[in-house]
Parts: sequence; C-alpha cells; structure tokens
Amino acid sequence: METQNTQTPKYWMSLEQWRQDPEFQKLAEKEFQSSPLQSDDGKDGWARREFLKLMGASLALTSFGCVRRTAQKIIPYVNKPADVIHGLSNYYASSFADGFEGLGLLVTTRDGRPIKIEGNPDHPANRGGMSTRGHAMILKLYDPDRYTGPKRNLQNDTRSNREIVGVKWEDLDKAVIEQLKKGSIAILGNSCLSPSTQALTDDFSAAYGAKSYRYDDVSYEPLQEATQKSYGQAGLPRYDFEKAKYVVAINNDFMGTWLNPTLYSRQFALRRRKTADMNKLVVFESLMSLTGSNADERYRIRPSQTLDLVMAILNELLINKKVSRFAGDAAVLRAVSAFAKADVGVNVADVAAELWKNRGQSLVVAGGVHSGIENAAHIHVAVNLLNAVLENDGKTVEPVGAAVVKPASANISDLIASMNKKEVKTLIIHGCNPMYSLPAAAKFREAFNNVEMIIYTGDRNDETARYADYVASDHHSLENWGDMLSLDGTYSIQQPTIQPLYNTRAMQDSLLVWAKASSKASARVKGAEDWYAYLRNNWKDLGRGKASTDDGWTELLRSGVLSGVTAGGGSRTFLTAALNEIKPASRKSGFELAMYETVALGGGDLANVPWLQELPDPITKITWDNYATISPKDAASLKLKEGYHVTLTVGDQKITIPAHIQPGQADGVVGLAVGYGRVGAGKVADGVGQNAFALAQWSNGSRVTSGIETAVAVSGGRTELACTQGHHSMEGRQIVVEETLKDFIKNPGGTVHRHKMFSMWSGHKYKGNKWGMVIDLNTCNGCSACVIACQSENNIPTVGKKYVIEGREMQWLRIDRYYVGDPENPDVVHQPLPCMHCDNAPCETVCPVIATSHSDEGTNDMTYNRCVGTRYCSNNCPYKVRRFNWFQYSEGIPTPHKMAMNPDVTVRFRGVMEKCTFCIHRIRNSKSEAKVQNRTLRPNEVQTACQQSCVTGAITFGDLNNTEWAVTKEFTSPSSYALLEELNTQPAVRYQVKVRNTEELKGAPKHHGEGHHA
Amino acid sequence: MSKNVIGAVVVCVLLGSLSLVVWALNNNKVVIGYNKGYVPDQPVNFPHDTHAGKYKIDCKYCHTGTEVSRHASVPSGNVCMNCHGPALVQNDSPEIQKVRDAFNNGRAIAWQKVNLLPDYVKFNHAPHIKAGKDCTVCHGPVAEMKKVVQHESLSMGFCVNCHRQPENNAPTNCSTCHY
Repeated sequence: METQNTQTPKYWMSLEQWRQDPEFQKLAEKEFQSSPLQSDDGKDGWARREFLKLMGASLALTSFGCVRRTAQKIIPYVNKPADVIHGLSNYYASSFADGFEGLGLLVTTRDGRPIKIEGNPDHPANRGGMSTRGHAMILKLYDPDRYTGPKRNLQNDTRSNREIVGVKWEDLDKAVIEQLKKGSIAILGNSCLSPSTQALTDDFSAAYGAKSYRYDDVSYEPLQEATQKSYGQAGLPRYDFEKAKYVVAINNDFMGTWLNPTLYSRQFALRRRKTADMNKLVVFESLMSLTGSNADERYRIRPSQTLDLVMAILNELLINKKVSRFAGDAAVLRAVSAFAKADVGVNVADVAAELWKNRGQSLVVAGGVHSGIENAAHIHVAVNLLNAVLENDGKTVEPVGAAVVKPASANISDLIASMNKKEVKTLIIHGCNPMYSLPAAAKFREAFNNVEMIIYTGDRNDETARYADYVASDHHSLENWGDMLSLDGTYSIQQPTIQPLYNTRAMQDSLLVWAKASSKASARVKGAEDWYAYLRNNWKDLGRGKASTDDGWTELLRSGVLSGVTAGGGSRTFLTAALNEIKPASRKSGFELAMYETVALGGGDLANVPWLQELPDPITKITWDNYATISPKDAASLKLKEGYHVTLTVGDQKITIPAHIQPGQADGVVGLAVGYGRVGAGKVADGVGQNAFALAQWSNGSRVTSGIETAVAVSGGRTELACTQGHHSMEGRQIVVEETLKDFIKNPGGTVHRHKMFSMWSGHKYKGNKWGMVIDLNTCNGCSACVIACQSENNIPTVGKKYVIEGREMQWLRIDRYYVGDPENPDVVHQPLPCMHCDNAPCETVCPVIATSHSDEGTNDMTYNRCVGTRYCSNNCPYKVRRFNWFQYSEGIPTPHKMAMNPDVTVRFRGVMEKCTFCIHRIRNSKSEAKVQNRTLRPNEVQTACQQSCVTGAITFGDLNNTEWAVTKEFTSPSSYALLEELNTQPAVRYQVKVRNTEELKGAPKHHGEGHHA
Repeated sequence: MSKNVIGAVVVCVLLGSLSLVVWALNNNKVVIGYNKGYVPDQPVNFPHDTHAGKYKIDCKYCHTGTEVSRHASVPSGNVCMNCHGPALVQNDSPEIQKVRDAFNNGRAIAWQKVNLLPDYVKFNHAPHIKAGKDCTVCHGPVAEMKKVVQHESLSMGFCVNCHRQPENNAPTNCSTCHY
C-alpha cells in the first residue's frame, strides 16, 4: 500500500497537498473544518449559553402545549386572472442581455412573482441551458439596495458632496426637459442588443440633436475595430465551434467569459463526441482560465506575446511552409516576416501543421480582457488573417449582418474630448458604469465640471450615480418590455414577469417622455403612448414575418424567439491593407499585469448578488474576494505564500491585495480579476475585493487591461482567502478517470479499475421508478451554472466569507477541481458532486432518528422535521455532500429576496442537515401531473435543475428501470464508473470517463491513481 | 443506604411516567398541538351549510384548484360575485354587503386559515381528488358546518393510516410529503 506521505500525488487539489504541507495533512485528516462552536461565535450572539437559554424557553412553551400555532391568513385575489392557479408555476419567455451575450429565458413565476430563471429551449444560443449570471440576475430584481424611485443629488459646483433626496417623476421630467431644451446633449450608452431601444435612442437623438457615444464596461471595441479593418464590414463575427475540429484559443476564454460563452460552450460540447471526430483544444494563455482548464494541450505565454504568437503561427505557415494563397502576397509576407524573430518560448510548428491539416474545420480565437493589451485590435487582425489562411472564413467563422450591435460612431474618449471643449451641457448615461470601470487617467471625472446636468438611468447609488444630478431609476429587465437581437442573428422578446416593485420607470419610457417634449419629435415617438406601444409599433414597422400582426405577436410572446431572420453565412475577403500598421511591440521587462473577468462576476454588474460572490471560482475555488494570481515559480522567488499581501504598482496607482499562487500560470504575469471593489453597489458587494480597473492604463483613448508593466512587492500582512478546495479531500483514490481518445476508441472505460463486490444485504427492491444520474466528465467544463441553478431552485442560503473559511458553505452541488501533473503547467479536471443517493447509503444506517432514509424509488430522503442535528450522517458520508444549518440562515434573508424562494421546497431551519434531493419536488410534481392526466411518466420528462441548466448536456437524469430514458444507456455503458466503488455504497450517480485528445495523459493512472487504501 | 433507595424510587417514578407519556402519545390518547376542533372567526360569516348543504353547490365550484394544484384555493372575489353580484342573490344581507364592498373597492378578504400544515409537509390536493377521495375524508361534514372547523388532527398518523391501506396503493416514503 502506497500512501500520500511517501509519494507526490498525481492528482492534487492545492499546492499545499502537492508539496505535502503538514498543515494540509492535518486538515485532510480532520475531515471537518468546523467544530460545533467556534471561539468567536459568541460575538454573533449565538454562544452556547444563549442557546441553552433559548432551549429552556422553547421547553417552557411546549409544556403549555395546546396553544394554537401561529394563525395564518389566506388572501385570495379580488379578481383572479384565469391563467394563474395558486400552487402551479407559469412560465414566460423572455430575454437577458448579459453584455454581448443574448440568452433566451423561460422565467418561472408563482402567483405573479418570478422565482427562477431557466433557459428557453427554443432559443438557439442556449437551448434550455443558462449561464451563472442568467440564473443569478433574478436576485438583482429583489435587491434591497435598489433605488425605490427617482432621485436627485443636490450637487455642489465640484460634484463632491452627497446629498440625495427623493424626487417626483413629474418634477424630474420638468427639470430634465427644461435642461434638454438648451441643447448640446450627449448620450453615453452601452452596446445595446435591443433593436427597438437603439431605434428609440436614435429618435431621441434626432429630436434634440443629441450625440450618441458608446461605452461598455467590458469592451469588444478592438474586435469590432479589427473586423471593420479586416473586411471593410462592421459588426462582430459569428463563430461555429461545432464545425471546428481543431480549436486554438490564444489568451481567450471563450468558454468562460468571452463574447458568447454559453453558446460557445454548447457548440464545443457538441463536437466533443467521443469518436474519431472529436475536437481538439489547444490553448496558449497567461492565466489559468476556464478554457485553459479544458485544454487538450496548453502552453503558457505572456500577455505581450499574444500577437507574437499568432504571427509565429503565420510565419510557420506562410514563410516556412509556404502554404495558402496568401503565401504569395508581398504585403502579407512583409507584415508577417517582421515578427520572424519574435520569441514566444513555444514551438508552434506542430500546432501550425495540425491547423493546416484541419483547414476549413479549424478555428483560431484570441482576445478578451486578459489580452486587452495596447493595440489589441492588431491581435484580432492577425487572427482574422490566420483564419483566412486556414480557409475558415464562411465555415467556422461567419460574418453577421451589420444590424447586430451597431458600431459606435463615437466612443467615450470622443465624449471626454468634447466635454472638455464645453460642448456638452447635458449628459445622459445608461447601461454602463464608467466611473467604476474607467481608469482615473481617462480624466472622465474631471470633465464633469464642464457639464451642467448629468442624468443617469441606473438603479442604485453606485459609482456613477453619485456624480449624477438626477437618477431616473430604471426597471429591472424582468419588470420591463424589450427585444433582443443576439449575435447569432436570433430575435427574441423580453416581456415583464412582474409588476414593477417600486416607483421606477423604464429607461426607454424616460427617453420617450423627454423626446415627446421636443417639437422635432418623430411621428414614431409622438404616436407611441408608452415604451410598450413604441416597441409594438416598431415590430409592426419592421414587418418581421408574422410578428407584425396581433396574432403573430401573441405567438411571439409565447415562444419568445423569432429565429432565422438575419442570415449570416457567406465568405468574405480579408483586406491585406489591415496589416499595414502592425509592427512588433517593444519587449516588456518585469511583471506584466493581466486583468481578467471571473466566470461569476464578469464586469461586476451583478456584484451585489450573494450567490455569485459565494460561488467558488471554477479554477481557484476561492469565494468572496479577488486576489493577485502568481505562478508557483514567481511565488517561490518572491517568498510568497497563499494569502500574503502584495502591492502592485503601476505608475502612481497602487493596490495591496492578497496573493493566490496559481498552478499553470505563466511566469512573470500577475492576474487580477475585475468586477470586485464596488462602491455603492450594495451591502453584499461593497468592500469585497478591490477594483482592478484602477490599475488599467489609458492609451490613445482606449482602456488597456493587460500587458501592463507592474512592480510586485510583498508588503507584509496576510488575509485568509475563503477557498472551498482545501476541504473535502478525497485522499487520492480513484476519483477521476481519464483516457486518451486513442485508448477510449480501442476500449472505452478500459482504465477504470473495477472491483468484485459482495454484500451481506439482499439490497433494496425498486419496483416502480429508480432514479439515477450520469455526469459526463468529458463535456463538463466546470462553468458552475448548475451550482447557481441548484441554489436558486432549492432555496439554498449563502453564509458569508467567515463561514466559508470554516467550511460551512451550503451549496448542495459542488464542483471539485483536480490538478494533474506538474504545478508549472498541470492538466485540470472538473468533477461535479451532488448527493450520490447510494443504494447502500452509509448515512442512513447511522441516523438515530431515521431522519434520512431510503425511498422505494432509490432516492435518499432527508426529512428536516425529524432531524435533530447529530451530524452522524455527515460523518459517515464518504462523499461529503451533506450540509448542516449551523444557524437560522433564513432570518438573514432580506425581505424582497424572500420573494425569490421556491414554495415547492422547504426553507430549512437551524440545526438540521440538508443535501441534494435529486430535485424530489420536481419528481413529485411530474408524478402528480401524470396521475391527474391518467398516464405514466414520459421518458425524460423529469429534469433536475442542474441538468436543465447545463448547456453542454453533461448531466443525464432519469428512471434506471426504464430503458426509454436516456440515462439508462449512459448508466450501464462500459465507460461509466461509480465513485469509490470499493466501498460498495452503490451510488445512483455515475460518471463517464474524461477523454483527452492527446497522445499521453499527465495523470496516467495505472491502478487507482495513487495510494490505494485497501 | 436510604439515599440509594430514594434514588431508585425517583428513577422508577420518572421512568414510569415517561413510558406513560410515550404510550399516551403513541396511542393518540393525548393529542398535542394538532388543533383538532379549531374554529376561528372569519371576517365574513360564510355559511358552508347553506352553500354546500342546502343548495348542494359542488365544493370545486369555489375551490377551483383541487383537481390540478397542490392547493384547493379559497375563491377570489369575482367567484362570489357570480351569484351575489348586483341585483342577484341575497343582496340585502349585511355579510354579502361586506363581500360586495371589498370587491368593488378592489380589496381582498383576509380569511383565517383553518387547516394548517407546517411548511415541511407538502400535501397535494390534485392526486387525492383524482384517486376519488371525498373532501369529507379530511375536512369532515363541511356541508353541515355553519362555521368551518378543523375536523381531523391532520397529524402524520392521520395521513399514514390511509396511505398504508393496501387498497389505496399509496407511497409511504418520507419524501412523499417531506422535501
């Protein structure tokens, strides 16, 4: 028997484990991080003495037994809408624009209030799946920190005071209209995916002669600029990862954060079929991104080498190999050969050869926040050339009509210039938060002094709102009408699912009211009573098929989607003139700063949603903070340990922040997540992490977020990062099984070590349904949308940073992340872990009060009202999936949040255990419905929340007693395996082995990975 | 010596009374906290005996959710107005005036809940009605009640007694009701 103490584990979860740090060993042996009572718990008013006092009081109450329980009231409708039935959900199709990502929603509502966001199966972008932020945005609707009405800020001349008063809409409109009549108006807005909002903004501009400027907190300006230059055509390209057999991502996180990650993840998974046709992903990157963690081959480069790397591949193809029609183009060769001597530290010959071999079905993508270097557009031009060389244009890369995201005629640097020239009297800001995401060097704040009035259509007292004179508080998108044209060319409708909670007004209604006051208002504006009427008329005018008729409109509201309107497709010609400006940049010395978006927070708009703050990052597994990520080698030379403070200095800007040592990160690079360090976003977000944008550079009128020369100094002090990965150690047994594609095709599941098991029990009999699940490790990319879906579906509380550190996080579904191989550049595996619903469940046998028991349908039930909180079950659970309610978490939920609770699931109380139920309420509801309709369950009728949310289709669930359900085939296939099979727990959840499209595995387990504990 | 005797007696008495309590609770001799017989005053004196008894109006005419939903639902104001609208049944009754006033002013009537189950119990009306169970099995002879009373204990024992009958073919998993 080998043990971990004597050998470096091949699969490891943290550097402490890899190094066999004694502290980690202690932690691993301890099993539970938290003891029943922490030394400082008393400070929260929950000391043991307090507990005993309360217990005494409740004992006294029970002895006076026959008192009526709390009287409840039933308040029926006055006039019940015909389609609302108390106890049943109504589903409304809607849309959610998350930056440049357009997702189709199906909003579950109960008694007129939305309780859960799901994906619209008819929307081609997400096909029923949903992103983390899509799920989480419902809590922004119920955010207690939202403004409840329009506000006026009584600013002094320098806009430095903060005196915010409520104002009536009439008074606000009067003041604004009076100001607008003076002329010189600028509108600063985001790249809006709503065609009707764009039309309305244009109408407003025409009515007042206002000028429009574009600004996005997370910008794709370089990509748009490069598309214009490369093809003489505006707009953004459309990628088809499903058609790509060989994908190269260069400092690009297309699975996690870039452009349309949900769509790309789905397309990528569709080509991840375990056949000879399976795709291969090669990633060159500086930080460890979600995409990098899913790579078959991964190489490390610095941000400043991004362009060099693309050029190195081009050099190899055009100059060394002399392939493609561009090899004879002098202009191209001149531009490319200028990079011939660029050192990228990686031999790209093999990658280039593979790309050429797969030409027409390969795809190269680059760019994003973490490669937002100076002249980032050059990277995209070079990538466009590379895709043209590889004949991917019109195949895996398609242009989309210019209608999607109109290019900006002017951006924020033009605005700042004209503000400084005193050409702007009134500034209207909507859909972006420039005071948060612009670096100080842009001098936007200073330019405010030349403006008479600033109007902001935000929803809270955030960074930009505090400089505005008026805040015309906007609706949440679930309260508002709208439409959306996503980048794949699909039109969809956004319809309100709840009456506005507060005295807020749609941004579009505000613009409409103001535009109407102008004598030059267009007929379209004058003819529209409100924003809904405007939207409806706009769709009539556009005459989009049947949607222009009333019946067609009703049908559109039902389905939510009008697809196939904008045809993309067709090849386009690369204009070699685009290469003229591209020259090698000067070398960078020292550390390079690379900012990045996290999968949870992105640009930080939803930072006040506790679910997102407590979601363990898919890679670092850290919650509630941002941190400077540093490679293990750099950390060693700086003598850094996890959580030590470092000071990052860029010019005169400094940030002191805890460090996280990130395996797989390029040396000489510091990563820092944006989206944190919000001010005025609300009680949850404020004070969490620091604003990375403060270190961004301002160069030639655009923001630089990467490749910034940075001084890194250890500054003393240490912060404990709330990381969920150190807990739940699995002691190096056969947890994750990987196979190469070659091995898999020869013998699927051949590397799985099987055990001959015998049992003294006869086992349970399952005569009706037997519920089971299969999780495909091959398509799961670790995006964590399922975790938030589960949290939303099952009323799971958040506990805060302090208790995450103590290991008390409550998410029922966790995703374990294992590193494989050398910390310099390891492979990564993501493994979602719900309750295994074991047939021989160890938890059931140890419960003294039978609060957890086995059902005749194979589920492991948890009866909260029986549970007395011994936690024996959790002790005995080999998978550590049980969560204990240390406190009455439901008391901490602010009032509006309570409206998001799912009434089908009990809100748990203090002192009880809870865990994944296989969404038993969904099973029960489906069975009741089937019974009422005199039928049995249809195959695949029941979906769990995690399964429904997964865009890659990694989770299959259903009845194992019925071969018509998709899960039965997956469950019994030779490549499926049970976790810790040797314990004979007979889990109802199995995993499909992970297949890597490589020659050799870094983990290469021969027998049980390492250290088999027999 | 005497101390030990006293101690033993005390222990015996305690154990004896404990087993008495357990026996009484287990055999439904004493029912604690189930509110059987609870008759709250309602904001409107709605006589079930007149509606369901004298006029034999089907329960499902007002309690519309029973066949499809978890909840039976208390009728909304417009359902009352179907019969008690202007110049219809019993317009001069002061109780009906209350209902009419509330309806005309867009106010809902806040009824006192009679049959209350805890949050952790998920009872679903629809499959029970589908299985042909009469409303009176749980709710008693409502057609004879002037004021609605909680007729059964609605305890877990009450539910399980029925679910255990072989002819009902009903599940008795914990997760049948608790989730």
